[in-house]
Amino acid sequence: MRLWHLLLRQWRNRPGRALATAASVAVAVAAVVATWISADASRAGYGRIAEALDGIPVVDVSARGGGRFVIDELPPLADVPGVRAAVPLIYRPARLLLDDGRRITQLAVGVDAVSLVRLGLLELEAGEPCRDVDELLLDAALARSLGLGVGDELLVPARRRLIPRRMRVSGLVKPGSAGWFAEGADVVFDIQVLEAMSLATALVDRVRVAVAADASRPKVQQAIAARLPTNLVAEIPAGQASMAEDVLHSANLGLDFVTGLTVAMAFFIVGNAMLMNVTERRRGFSLLRLLGATARQIRRFVTTEAAILGAAGGLVGAAAGLAAAGPISAGIARALQAPALGFAVQPWILPAAVLLGFLVAVAAAWWPAREATAIDLLEGLAAAPAPPPQGVPLTFILAVVGFALIALVNQALVILEVLPPRMTVPGGITLLLAFVATTPILLPPIVRVLGWFVPRSLRIEGMLATEQILRQPVRTALTTGVLIVAVSNGIGLGHAIRDNVDDVLGWYGRMMRADWVLSHAGMLQGVAEAQSLDSKEVEKEVRALPGVASVEGLGVTTGRVAGGACVIVARDVPADQPLPLLPVDATEAELRAALDRGDAVAGTVLARRTGIKAGDEVSVEVFGRTVPVKIAALVVDYTSGGASLHVRRETARSLFGLRSADILLVTAEPGRSEELREPLERIVADHTMILRSFGEVQRFVDRIVGGVVNSLWAILGLGFVVGSLGVANTVTMNVLEKKRTLGLLRAVGMTRGQVTRMVVLESLLLGAAGGLIGLAAGLVTAVFIQLASQPLLGHPINVTFRPGVVLTNLAAAIAVTTLAAWLPARRAVRLDLLESISAE
Amino acid sequence: MPPNFLPSSIVRAEGLEKTFATAGVGPGVPAVQAVDLDVARGEFVAITGASGSGKSTLLHMLGGITRPSAGRVLLEDTDLAALDDDGLAAIRRRRIGFVFQRYNLLPELSLEENVALPLVLDGATAATCSEAAREALAAVGMSHRAAHRPDALSGGEQQRGAIARALVTSPAILLADEPTGALDSVNSANVLALLQSLVRDRGQTVILVTHDPGIAAAAGRIVRMRDGRIVEIVPGGSAACATEAAPR
Ligand SMILES: Nc1ncnc2c1ncn2[C@@H]1O[C@H](COP(=O)(O)OP(=O)(O)OP(=O)(O)O)[C@@H](O)[C@H]1O
Ligand SMILES: [Mg+2]
Repeated sequence: MRLWHLLLRQWRNRPGRALATAASVAVAVAAVVATWISADASRAGYGRIAEALDGIPVVDVSARGGGRFVIDELPPLADVPGVRAAVPLIYRPARLLLDDGRRITQLAVGVDAVSLVRLGLLELEAGEPCRDVDELLLDAALARSLGLGVGDELLVPARRRLIPRRMRVSGLVKPGSAGWFAEGADVVFDIQVLEAMSLATALVDRVRVAVAADASRPKVQQAIAARLPTNLVAEIPAGQASMAEDVLHSANLGLDFVTGLTVAMAFFIVGNAMLMNVTERRRGFSLLRLLGATARQIRRFVTTEAAILGAAGGLVGAAAGLAAAGPISAGIARALQAPALGFAVQPWILPAAVLLGFLVAVAAAWWPAREATAIDLLEGLAAAPAPPPQGVPLTFILAVVGFALIALVNQALVILEVLPPRMTVPGGITLLLAFVATTPILLPPIVRVLGWFVPRSLRIEGMLATEQILRQPVRTALTTGVLIVAVSNGIGLGHAIRDNVDDVLGWYGRMMRADWVLSHAGMLQGVAEAQSLDSKEVEKEVRALPGVASVEGLGVTTGRVAGGACVIVARDVPADQPLPLLPVDATEAELRAALDRGDAVAGTVLARRTGIKAGDEVSVEVFGRTVPVKIAALVVDYTSGGASLHVRRETARSLFGLRSADILLVTAEPGRSEELREPLERIVADHTMILRSFGEVQRFVDRIVGGVVNSLWAILGLGFVVGSLGVANTVTMNVLEKKRTLGLLRAVGMTRGQVTRMVVLESLLLGAAGGLIGLAAGLVTAVFIQLASQPLLGHPINVTFRPGVVLTNLAAAIAVTTLAAWLPARRAVRLDLLESISAE
Repeated sequence: MPPNFLPSSIVRAEGLEKTFATAGVGPGVPAVQAVDLDVARGEFVAITGASGSGKSTLLHMLGGITRPSAGRVLLEDTDLAALDDDGLAAIRRRRIGFVFQRYNLLPELSLEENVALPLVLDGATAATCSEAAREALAAVGMSHRAAHRPDALSGGEQQRGAIARALVTSPAILLADEPTGALDSVNSANVLALLQSLVRDRGQTVILVTHDPGIAAAAGRIVRMRDGRIVEIVPGGSAACATEAAPR
């Protein structure tokens, strides 16, 4: 016989104990695996949505001083890692003469359409890509508004040609599919055709580089920049860090947090199970030591057992985690309405999970193994475990202070941007450990106070339950640790995500508070001098419609500020309406006054990128002209990811010569929005404009936001399920350890009902105490995440206290722990009276 | 040399003291004070005294289970105080056998495996272990129950098994703390007879703690304790019977 025979005997003799321990490992590993895979699925889903909103991620190569450059100056870029295609582009205004006499001016883009279609970077709704000199592509929506289809012909005047060229519509571009390069151009020519027409051979406006979805854009940008001659620059265009990315940034941080915390939770669960597994055999180990076993032998015994149970539990947990991840991922995909997400199961996940189980179990067994050998021999042999030490253990106070300090320093470094925002995750987890370590300190007073709320009729049960909880500080700390993680996860992320979402929705509400949006095709280029007249007319027509409450005109164009691209928005906000911008460090009244003075305000993202501050005077380049503009204040704005400059329309006219209203926001009288569809569609058709319902945009935003929120809740729910198992384990252990006491109490007349109530109360008190500490931890976590998001968003997000989120989480904690009492209560009631009294 | 010391001692206690710290309040409980004791090879010593007089505490210090607050224990001329925990464990494993009132055997293991435990812990080969265990079981007359689990044995049988385990390493001393405390009179007599035969036939040194004057009387020497001190050491066996019988 060897010592491990003893192990086998113990397993055979009490299979339940070994199984419960392995099951704890399995639960913990399953939680980690499921969370990991689900978080990956969420990330992938978010990424797809970001792509859908933003289009394909790109990097632009353009001339340093602005203007065109000779394409031959550009070195080949196709072999740069992460580059899908490098697309030379030219933009020209083009007039289209329709056969019925209508003439419209549009922005045209010249590209190699054949190649783009082949690469899947341009999708056609109908027809073929243009390849011949007399072919062009039209945006499908524009074509519809013009009443044109594939094969129809129109006249396009070209420079230095007296007779306009007759061209054929060879295909219709699927709306949105050209968005990533077209910049609002709705007419697509072959690049050589457009070059010839504008007599600018070999000169391009920019080369737009499509970046693979899984590549890091900044890295690709750097790699490209390294190859460029000095007169060319590589930039990420302003319009491409959009609102979606901002929401997703915070959601991703949230996912990182959840994953990290699940690992922490796994440690608590397994640690608790190991502790109990060893504590239960306290007398056996003491007897072995009495017979001359060395501390090392005992520790090796415990560790070996932990390793075996851990690896086995890890294997089962990996399988269970994979099984659970399937439906969760599918649910997330549904919530995000991302098509056929699926999740990739890497082949390494199984060995990794087994290794995780093994490592977690061995690490978690360290403390119990130490305890088993550190306690006094005679105490270990005694029938009842020693009473808990009085007073607050110094170790815990040191742990709290230590963890908190590490977390705060880490967070300070993140805020100071010494560390990347992601590093807030380990910091947040360390902070959570600090909270968990407060449990032995805070639990006695909390449980006592909670005890006051136990009805008088349950005094005995309450007393016993309280005593049970307080006599095992470490075990209780580990159990409540699981709950604290679950609750603080729920509350922290609930707050952070909702705050972020509200931030975005708040902007949407301010910016897009209309029901209908009318826009000119090609609006971003401000090319249409003639349209300004046109738009006045449209505005008048729209105003005259019955059911219209208000019409607001916006001028939009692009420009450059301090070397970076930006979007310029010209807009007058009526005094009776809220400003569509959220001022930073200024009041709304100050903002209005500044705009009235003819100053501009800059979006926070633009400010961060270019380093401009409130009060600066900057040079703004629009339409080739450079004018000085005073930046009065910074504002939160998600247009073009906040890389925007806002002025009044009058200011835009005098400074930049921007006259047109490219966008009309139409607000209907309450309940009459749908009535406007038909008349608006008619106006749009007459003026070659495009009509969008704000409802569609709203629905799209809602969908993302809802998806983000739902998927996080799904993952958080997992945490609660796992937490409940931890509580069930602890309370069962407490019951078994108190077998003798319970037997004696039953013998002197305690009823089954009383025993049940005592066990349930014990559970409830644990749940409430863990919930309360978790609440505090969660609110701090929320602030943590928000502070970490700040460097990226460029503005602080207000943390709003949300009673709904808090109550839901507390209720979940209490409900889950009460349910968890069911099994131990049954055990307690079924204890054989005689056996439990004679239990030794 | 203090009066209780013998020249050929196998275990010797010098000025032993043990004070239990009481958490925060009071000066602590003096469980054992100023105990000098010498036990010769092959001797059978009984320690008696009222409950709480320090018998168990003294036994624990002699066996290297607890460390004294002051004084020292020499076991076969090894100073137990000079050993670290692993050294003490090795001494317990090889040179000392323990028998307690109850909970001597691991419930998961068969009787033979329980008996072999100290050898297993010492890293002996499987063959050595089972041979020695069988021998020890034979010595206590329990060979026929070797394969049974402890919970299938009566209290007396369990104690005999515990004695077999204590003997399996041929220890220098066998320490027994009320080994008959939980047994009826018939079983008590059996266990006592077994201990006596070990002393007589194998020259085993035995130190026994007991309440029962009848059992104490079977020893060669009786150490009486009160309030942590040795108040009297008298010869046992027929001598003790004689002194008690004399006034009759
Ligand atoms: N761990 C301990 N902590 C505090 N006091 C202790 C401890 N162990 C024993 N004592 C005290 O030391 C004194 C001697 O105890 P000990 O167990 O040695 O007595 P005993 O003679 O064996 O009694 P009994 O016959 O009842 O077993 C008693 O007063 C006891 O309360
Ligand atoms: Mg005693």
